[in-house]
Amino acid sequence: MNSKHTFIGAVEIGTSKITVLVGEYTGRELAIIGCGECQSRGVIKGTVVDYKAASDCTHSALEQAERDAGERIQCVFLSQTGGHLEGFYNQAEVNVRAADNMIDREDIAKVSELARAKDLPAGRSVVHHIRRPFKVDGRLVPTSPENLVGQRLEVGYWTVHGLEQRLADHLHVISGFNLEVQEIVLSSLASGHMVTTAEERQHGVLAIDIGGGTTDYVLYRDGVPHTTGVVPVGGTHLTNDLSIGLRLTENHAEKLKLRFGRAVVQARDKAEKVWLDGNFAIGDRQFPRQAIEQIAAARAWEILEVVRKKLGNAFSPETCAAGVVLTGGTAKLPALAECAAKVFGVPAHLGEAPAGVSENLRDPGYHTALGLLYYGLNSQSERTARKRRTGLLGRVSRLFVQA
Amino acid sequence: MTHDADLLSSSRHWRNIPQQVKPRAMSREGRWRLALRLLRAAGGVGALGVAAWGAAQAVAVWRGDPAALAAGTAAVPLQHLSLSTDGVLDRAWLARTLALPANATLAQLNLAQLRARVLASGQAREATLTRDYPATLAVRVAEHTPVARLRAAGAGAEPGRTLLVARDGVVYEGVGYDPAMLASLPWLDGTRLVRRDGGFVPLAGMGQVSNLLSEAQSEAPLLYRSWRVVSLARLQSDGAIEVRSQDGLRVIFGTQDGFFPQLARLTLLLDSLRAQGAGPVTQVDLSLPGQDPARPAGIPVTLAPPGTPAAPPSPPVLRNFHPLTLEF
Repeated sequence: MNSKHTFIGAVEIGTSKITVLVGEYTGRELAIIGCGECQSRGVIKGTVVDYKAASDCTHSALEQAERDAGERIQCVFLSQTGGHLEGFYNQAEVNVRAADNMIDREDIAKVSELARAKDLPAGRSVVHHIRRPFKVDGRLVPTSPENLVGQRLEVGYWTVHGLEQRLADHLHVISGFNLEVQEIVLSSLASGHMVTTAEERQHGVLAIDIGGGTTDYVLYRDGVPHTTGVVPVGGTHLTNDLSIGLRLTENHAEKLKLRFGRAVVQARDKAEKVWLDGNFAIGDRQFPRQAIEQIAAARAWEILEVVRKKLGNAFSPETCAAGVVLTGGTAKLPALAECAAKVFGVPAHLGEAPAGVSENLRDPGYHTALGLLYYGLNSQSERTARKRRTGLLGRVSRLFVQA
Repeated sequence: MTHDADLLSSSRHWRNIPQQVKPRAMSREGRWRLALRLLRAAGGVGALGVAAWGAAQAVAVWRGDPAALAAGTAAVPLQHLSLSTDGVLDRAWLARTLALPANATLAQLNLAQLRARVLASGQAREATLTRDYPATLAVRVAEHTPVARLRAAGAGAEPGRTLLVARDGVVYEGVGYDPAMLASLPWLDGTRLVRRDGGFVPLAGMGQVSNLLSEAQSEAPLLYRSWRVVSLARLQSDGAIEVRSQDGLRVIFGTQDGFFPQLARLTLLLDSLRAQGAGPVTQVDLSLPGQDPARPAGIPVTLAPPGTPAAPPSPPVLRNFHPLTLEF
């Protein structure tokens, strides 16, 4: 093993399955060298409700991934979802200090700190501070405003926060394997980063990750995440509705959903029936195809409708020119893109991993874990660069500037 | 990139949540990893402790007897000389040549100087000396191969000595060669030896002589065996090499043509003259251009005057033959 190589584990603790990918990071390149998967237990709607069960299956997936990679994971990037996650927007503005109105680092630091300085309710912790573009005298600045000239500097942060106890539960599941979580990344940001291109994000795009127990979404504008959110409804609710509507067990309902479920009703013949198993076994039953499609379509429409309502004014077809990109395990439901296009009134398509990703990791179920590695590494390198700037050299150079 | 998790913010951040869990909340693999980590940490602390102890000891010695720090650990004296060569040199020669002081250690040896000693003998073409700790000096030698020999007279009452000449013109005193092999080498004539730095300046033109001799050795071994003297006297001026056989025949080879055709012409000519019953041949000049191998009559040949006894077919090896006497 090369000592300069870092072996990073991307862990997604989902409602239906736990996925671990092992990435070998050389400082310049990232290679996926191992994968582990385990059916999830003790997790409901993205939240750990049974520590022992969740730990056991997470650790099993971690061990499997390490075996597959042939290396020990050194640190973990963890995805975070769940209904407890919320977000709000806060912005601040400052007058530029310098007499010549040239913006310097102090101005940027001050306005950024003010925009982030919003107290949270008790028991809640920040997961992400997502900065929106700076504005100088109302003019949008996509990159750093340093050395630009203006009188007023504005910036806003979309802050994502969650219940401290729920976050701690997730962290402790990983700590139980004696690994340290270096980065927590919102599931929607991870998968959204993976299935959208920089150009789409610039034009405005909505990425929706429909998992087993939750639906995560992120709306990009001007190249950056504008709004994020989590709806505690996912693919298992479709199964549940089918189970209740057709009076079936969950397993049978899941089977019917996977074989005949559609997000848009296609069957016209009410009398058309489908077999539950289709193997002529004793106990095999028939169900009306139209009923299955109607139930699945109604729930899929409802999930997307809830997302649209939660987005509120943030979403409009004009500011979302690149349309809607769907991902997650439930995104494989036939005609879901068609359904999303109707709900949001913009083009929709299924998201795909970038070309470099190997064939066996291109399933939508891996997008979050893949995105975790890429997004987490980006965040880390940015933080490292910032620390370097604010290190001894940065301070010394600032002394000279002030002098 | 807009993701920002700066801890300067007044609000609580997920990074402030303690991640450690008690061992009982860990899985078996987690506890095993923890134990490994603790062991590694203990090892690190131990190594630091040893380093600190060593430093303390060094400081104590420094305060008490600073000279003791400078004295190194007693090294083992050199015990073995190992020689690998592609020629005939042996370890006894190596020991004589290196003349190492008794009880010398490997670290004390000046390898560059020793290499110069090995190369000064002339017989060694290349030499590599390696310290093989704890007590072996390994010497790898590539040797010259002699192509001719010469006799150099000593100054004053000093007896003359026989020297060997390699293909590249290097002149050296051969050591360890088979005497029979040395006796088969032709003598060199018509050149001068010049001393330099305890040795001799390499002889010019030995490449061509070497080509002629090796060609003759492989293509006309009978002729080669009768050659006794090779003269370089006309090499620089006429481009000709003169060979004298033990039966008195002088053959002049030109360096413009290849040696193989000249040897072929010579063999053909001698066979033809022998078949005609001609008298003994004293000189053949193969250096002139335009000679036709199919017409031996066109080759300048000097025959011995009538009545001169024919040379014996297999002459004895000449002993104490000193064709070259050079003052130096």
